[in-house]
Amino acid sequence: MTNDEIKDLILEIIEDIDDEADFDNLNPDEPLRDQLDLDSMDFLDIVMELRKRHQLQIPEEDYPQLATLNSCVNYLEPLLKNA
Amino acid sequence: MKPPCIIIGGGLSGLAAAIRLARYIPGIVLLEQHTRLGGLNSYYYRNNTLLETGLHAITNYAEPGDKRAPLNRLLRQLKIPRKNLTFHQQITSEIIFAGKQRLLFSNDFVLLQEEIADKFPDSIDAFFDLLNFLDQFDPFAPAPFRSAKAFLLERLADPLLVDMLLCPLMYYGSSVENDMDLSQFAIMFQAIYREGFFRPHGTIRDFLTLLSDHFLSLGGEIRRGAKVTTIIQEGKRAIGVELESGEILESDFILSTIGHQETRTILGQQPVDNEPNRLGFVESIFQLPVESIPLLPRDRTVMFYSENFPFSYNQPVNLVDCRSGVICLPHNFDQITPEKTIEVRSTHLASYSNWQAIRADRLAYDKAKKQVRQQSLSVIEKYLGKFRDNIVYEDTFTPITIERYTAKRHGAIYGSPIKIKDGNIGYDNLYLAGTDQGFLGIVGSMLSGVSIVNQHILPRI
Ligand SMILES: Cc1cc2nc3c(=O)[nH]c(=O)nc-3n(C[C@H](O)[C@H](O)[C@H](O)COP(=O)(O)OP(=O)(O)OC[C@H]3O[C@@H](n4cnc5c(N)ncnc54)[C@H](O)[C@@H]3O)c2cc1C
Repeated sequence: MTNDEIKDLILEIIEDIDDEADFDNLNPDEPLRDQLDLDSMDFLDIVMELRKRHQLQIPEEDYPQLATLNSCVNYLEPLLKNA
Repeated sequence: MKPPCIIIGGGLSGLAAAIRLARYIPGIVLLEQHTRLGGLNSYYYRNNTLLETGLHAITNYAEPGDKRAPLNRLLRQLKIPRKNLTFHQQITSEIIFAGKQRLLFSNDFVLLQEEIADKFPDSIDAFFDLLNFLDQFDPFAPAPFRSAKAFLLERLADPLLVDMLLCPLMYYGSSVENDMDLSQFAIMFQAIYREGFFRPHGTIRDFLTLLSDHFLSLGGEIRRGAKVTTIIQEGKRAIGVELESGEILESDFILSTIGHQETRTILGQQPVDNEPNRLGFVESIFQLPVESIPLLPRDRTVMFYSENFPFSYNQPVNLVDCRSGVICLPHNFDQITPEKTIEVRSTHLASYSNWQAIRADRLAYDKAKKQVRQQSLSVIEKYLGKFRDNIVYEDTFTPITIERYTAKRHGAIYGSPIKIKDGNIGYDNLYLAGTDQGFLGIVGSMLSGVSIVNQHILPRI
């Protein structure tokens, strides 16, 4: 997957969690949770969706690496290289 | 195939936990001892009608747009679109301390504030301070028991106001006698006063069907009449369960929603020592033809009353204590149009041991049920007006009934006074959710199921 595809994947997952999520002013370097009003319960859904869709097992200690859109891309890029 | 997770108990916490898991993991199995789902919140048929066992009003009403509200978070977690549900909001509820004072509240929190300003003018500033305190307070942070009563007495100074505010919160969410944990108080204050009451459209059966269909559509399996008699263990690992039929089911994870002591029992452990009294309740249902609506108040949904002050919320010395109670008029929600019949429901504190003492004598037990119902009727008619001549069917359930159908120890609706907030009962792959985890009521127990799954199972399964 390209970086843009990974971004789209994350946004698609978030949209699936909350169909009213507003991405217009999303800053890719700021935490997703604060900007989109997601709580830790919603956040777990991102991890679980990645697992369901791409069989990615993300260990709990790596969750912080999914904090911003850009950090998601950095973290996921090597894992989704062949996806 | 070996199920990745078994959930013991098909009450609301078990159903919510099951859905949450099934969204991501195939092959989840839910085991319910009864032939019907719902546990404390189920239904039965009498007099050609469906009677609900435990639904007065659901707490935590929230508008659809309020993303952070517990109700909307819960629905999101379960992936049940809010727009698929129709909710009816309460009209007005009331706290009545006979001969002392009355306070109205509704889903508009301003009403309660105005009532307090009007009736307890000396305490209104302290009440606003309390609200500020609650805004800052995190009720989910782990903390030892702290007396809400002592805290409120210190803050609000007026013992009548303190008891009046506590009465509904205790009746709808305290497993502790004459007090509640401050965190639980904060949760219930939010759930009842700030958010408020509603009912889903239809009956609890429709709601349970929605949940179970959703679980099945996600690939889950429900087994009814599947009573777990043993949790098979190897050291700190639970290997699987044995059913009453003798069948053994292995699993990687187990979530029990049947209560802490109840879980210990099927683990072959001794009960926890020195558990304080469990609270029992007696619930009566009076069914009336729809034509009786004008006899009853039109603008009251739930009434919490106490004839004694200080309010006592403890195990009664007799079978039942009708000096306080909850009266619910389930047809008094916005936009509900009853068809043939309506109900009046009453709840009072009851003593499990006194009911237990007479249960073997069927005649005495039935007679006691009838007497207790009459006693309840006489008291609640003081608040509702006379309606007894119109009753077409009536029924009462006791802590014994609840124990029989849900296997809840002592028929205690709110379970053990000691809660295991993190759901950890000393095993690597077996956790506790539901009533004894600590979140009470319908929304509470469902959130309990979801949060224990999120915390312990989903990240590791
Ligand atoms: C009369 C009454 C009125 C109520 N009114 C309200 C109200 O108005 N609003 C509100 O929010 N809440 C109300 N409640 C409380 C609410 O019903 C409960 O808090 C909630 O349903 C608890 O759900 P739970 O899943 O934790 O427990 P339970 O419902 O007890 O679920 C446990 C399930 O496990 C099953 N089980 C037990 N042992 C085994 C075993 N060994 N093997 C397999 N299965 C087993 C039981 O049969 C049961 O179905 C009321 C309850 C009652 C009884």
